[in-house]
Formats: sequence, structure tokens, C-alpha cells
Amino acid sequence: MGGIEIHALGKQFQINNRLIPAVCNFELQVSEREFVTIVGKSGCGKTTLLRLICGLENADQGYVRLAGHNGKAFDQRVSIVFQEPRLMPWLTVRQNMAFSLLKENDHQKVDRTVNFFLNMLGLTPFQDAYPRQISGGMAQRTALGRTLCFDPDIILMDEPFGALDAFTRHNLQQELVDIFLSQNKTIIFVTHDVNEAVLLGQRVLVMDKGSIRRELAIDIPYPRDALSKDFYNLREEILRSVLKP
Amino acid sequence: MNAVTLSEKMIWVKRSIAVVLVLAAWSFCSVAGLVNDYLLPAPWKIADLAWKMICDGTLLKHVWISLYRVFLGFGITLGLAFPLAAVVGLNKIFFELLETPLEFVRHVPPLATTPLLILWLGIGESSKLAVIVLATFFPIFLNTVNGVSQCDKKLLEVGRVLGLRPFERIVRIILPSALPVIIVGLRLGFGYSWRALIGAELLAAAAGLGYMIIEAEALARPDIVLVGIISIGTLGHLLDSSFLRLSRKLIPWHEMESDYGRY
Ligand SMILES: Nc1ncnc2c1ncn2[C@@H]1O[C@H](COP(=O)(O)OP(=O)(O)OP(=O)(O)O)[C@@H](O)[C@H]1O
Ligand SMILES: [Mg+2]
Repeated sequence: MGGIEIHALGKQFQINNRLIPAVCNFELQVSEREFVTIVGKSGCGKTTLLRLICGLENADQGYVRLAGHNGKAFDQRVSIVFQEPRLMPWLTVRQNMAFSLLKENDHQKVDRTVNFFLNMLGLTPFQDAYPRQISGGMAQRTALGRTLCFDPDIILMDEPFGALDAFTRHNLQQELVDIFLSQNKTIIFVTHDVNEAVLLGQRVLVMDKGSIRRELAIDIPYPRDALSKDFYNLREEILRSVLKP
Repeated sequence: MNAVTLSEKMIWVKRSIAVVLVLAAWSFCSVAGLVNDYLLPAPWKIADLAWKMICDGTLLKHVWISLYRVFLGFGITLGLAFPLAAVVGLNKIFFELLETPLEFVRHVPPLATTPLLILWLGIGESSKLAVIVLATFFPIFLNTVNGVSQCDKKLLEVGRVLGLRPFERIVRIILPSALPVIIVGLRLGFGYSWRALIGAELLAAAAGLGYMIIEAEALARPDIVLVGIISIGTLGHLLDSSFLRLSRKLIPWHEMESDYGRY
């Protein structure tokens, strides 16, 4: 089960004796199997929010609560795809993707899982390359595959498609929707791209100065047609709300 | 493929040029009578002597003893330095506690301790091994500590969000990321140990390349000294380049392709 309850969450950073509120008074309920996208200007606290949710930062105020177990290990409930690939330079693409699976005894199952995601991400021809030998977009895809292989209930994604070309991005958006629909995942997806936010999310949150400024439900069924009138209207509305001073 | 082998051959040609030039100049001086044939015998005389010493086993005996000491001493250092470095590298408190004494010992050349070591341990094997351990400990220990304590925090976070326990993070992230730095330390240590050993054998030994040289001095045989020096240099270079080749195999991801700083 992958619900998230966030209440009065706050986090400040100290830069040169000045307290910077990165996240403040943040309220959010995410239900199990929900796909939430978050848009907002650079520096509004999106990364900090995701780090608080997966426990990499401790909250100064408020709390994050993750619901139920689903029979998995405690720490397999939530994981994150970072804004940078963060691959292990000493492992090949394939080994990086299998990084969380080394404890798994069933090698055939591991191979099957890794092959599946290598193929999905178009990385099969580069599976034996080291991170230094691949492009930025490939590195980002490897990082995405590494988290998908880990198979957490809740996936946090910090602009995972930012470094990709339009075609790969389009394909991976479709794949992500498929994974979401078929595998009972809860997803929080941060992006700069309003179009992507509307294409993927059941709910779009507009963040500003560490809290939610606006929240919109997107009721269009998947797969979504980015050229439809509804889509266009929603996108314009979100864009206005992001740009509003 | 062809291009690679061609450029590799070129490297060997370039590397040999200096050696050939020195040999040529040396031969010229000998033939022209510019140097005293006793103080600096001609290269072919040295080669002849070396060949004889190889055939009758004296050279090999000394080489073998020196190599044996280096490898044994090196092994002892590894057993001491690795566990200690792991403990110190992973716990800041230990590092702060040990910093001053380590800094003190680090600045004392191992050879300077030899007289004391001989008094304590005699001129047997143990004093030579002690010199080697002193010479190799610091490069290996300090590099391992640095490699372990300077692990990229971002990679450790990856371990955390992928469910690795603290011990697994040490084995699967900290150690491999420290490996290139550790290997640099091993290589440095290996070079130091060779030099320190020869020094120690010059001061006190009954066998080994250093002893062979000091014995030749007593016998007034500069030709044997030269054979000794050439053996030391050649062996040192051979050991170092085999080490380099081995380390490239151990860290294939390192020094490969260009680094765009994007992973
Ligand atoms: N470790 C840190 N130390 C100090 N300040 C920090 C730290 N991390 C974040 N901040 C500050 O917190 C604020 C929010 O940063 P955050 O990284 O969450 O923004 P973001 O919305 O992810 O931006 P972007 O879209 O550019 O990635 C910024 O003002 C930043 O300077
Ligand atoms: Mg960010």
C-alpha cells in the first residue's frame, strides 16, 4: 500500500547566516495508486520535498507518514529517481540497473527483470558500457531503470526526463503511464514541463516558495491526447498559475 | 586494431631510444679510452659478468632474497594498514585521535630508524621487514583512509534509497569507490618498499641485492656494484609496471575514455 500523508511539513536551510525556507507548511494527502505531478519554478522546494518524503532529510516541522506495508521490506516502500543520474562509475549499465537486486537469489528472475527494463529503456546495446562511456540521456535512463528494478511501492521522480530528447521522452512517458496502470504504483513526479505534468498526472500541484499554490485534478482518461481542447485549457491554466507573481 | 598495435610498437621504440643512446655513449667512452676501465667497465663486460652471475646462481640468490623480503613485508603492511584504515576512515574520532602521532611518524624516513631496529631486532630478517613495513605503511594507510572517508555522499544516498543496510553500503559503495585511490597508495608503497629495503640491506644484511653491493665495495669490485644497481633499477621498473597492469585490470572503469563529468 502506498499512501502518503504530509502534515504541516517545514524545512529550512541556513545559507550565510540566513534561514531559507525550502519547504513550509506543506499539506498533502496522496492516496494509494495515485499519480501526482508537481510543477514549479526553479528553487521553489520540489527536490527538498521529495527528499523529505523518502527520508533523506529530516523535517524541521510537521511530518511525513507512509501508509502500510504490502508485504515488502520496510525500506522498499519508497524510492527516488534523483535529478542527476548518480550511477556507480565502477559498474556497467546492466550492473547499475541490477544494483538493488544483488541480494536476490533467483538469478533468472533478476536477469528477466533487468532485461525487461533494459529493453524498455532502449539500453540493451549499451548494457556493458560504463557510465563514462554513455551519453547524459542514457545515464538518466539507466538511473530510472535502477529504481524500476528495485520496484518500490511509491516512486518519487525528480525531473527524470529532463535530459532526454523529445522522442525518447515521449516513449518513456507512455511507458511510465503503462507501469503506473499495470503495477499498482503511487507516483510523485516533479517536472518543469507543464505539458508533461498534464499528460501524466491525475493531479497537478503548482508549488511556489515551499508550499502548494494551486491544485488541479486532471480527469482525462489515459492515454491522453495532448491536442484535445480540455488538455489545452488545463495546460494554459497551470501555466498562468505558475507564472503569476 | 592495426592502428593500435602500430602505436604500441611506436611507444616501445620511443622508450628504447634513451636506453640505446646511453649504451652507445657508454660504449663510445670505453672504446675511446675516455674512462678508466676499472672504475667504469665497458657495457659488454658488465653484461658478461651479469650473465656469469646469473649462471652460477649468485645474482639470482640475492634477487630472490630481496624480492622475498619485499613481498613478505608488503603483505604484513596490508594486513596492518587495511583494517586500521577502514576503522579510521569510517570513524572521524579515531582519525582525530591518531592524527598527531601519525604525522610525527610519517615525517621520519624509515632508514633513519634502521640503527634502532637493528639494536632491537638484530640484523636478521625482522629488522629488514620492519623497515619495509615502516616505509609502506603510510602511503597505503593514508590513501585508504582518504579513499574511504571521501566517498561521494550522493552515491551513499543512492544506497540508502535502494534499501542497502549500512554494512552493505560500506562493501558495495564505499570500498569500490575508494579502490582507485587505494591502488595508488599500494603502488606508491611498493616503490617505497623496494628502495627502503635496499637501503636496509646496505646497512645490515648477509644477503640480498643491497648486501651484494656493499660486499662488492669491500672487494673493490665496481663491476659487481654496477650489476647490482642495474638489477635494482630493472626489477623496480618491472615490478611497478606489472603492478600498473594489474591495477588496470582491477579498475577497468578508471582512466577509460574521456570524463564529461556527467554521471
Ligand atoms: N543542502 C542545502 N543546503 C542549503 N540550501 C539548500 C539545500 N538544498 C536546497 N537548498 C535551498 O532550498 C531551496 C529549494 O531548493 P530545491 O532544490 O528544493 O529546489 P527545486 O524546486 O528542486 O529547484 P530546481 O527546479 O532548480 O531543481 C533553494 O533556495 C535552495 O537554495
Ligand atoms: Mg530540484
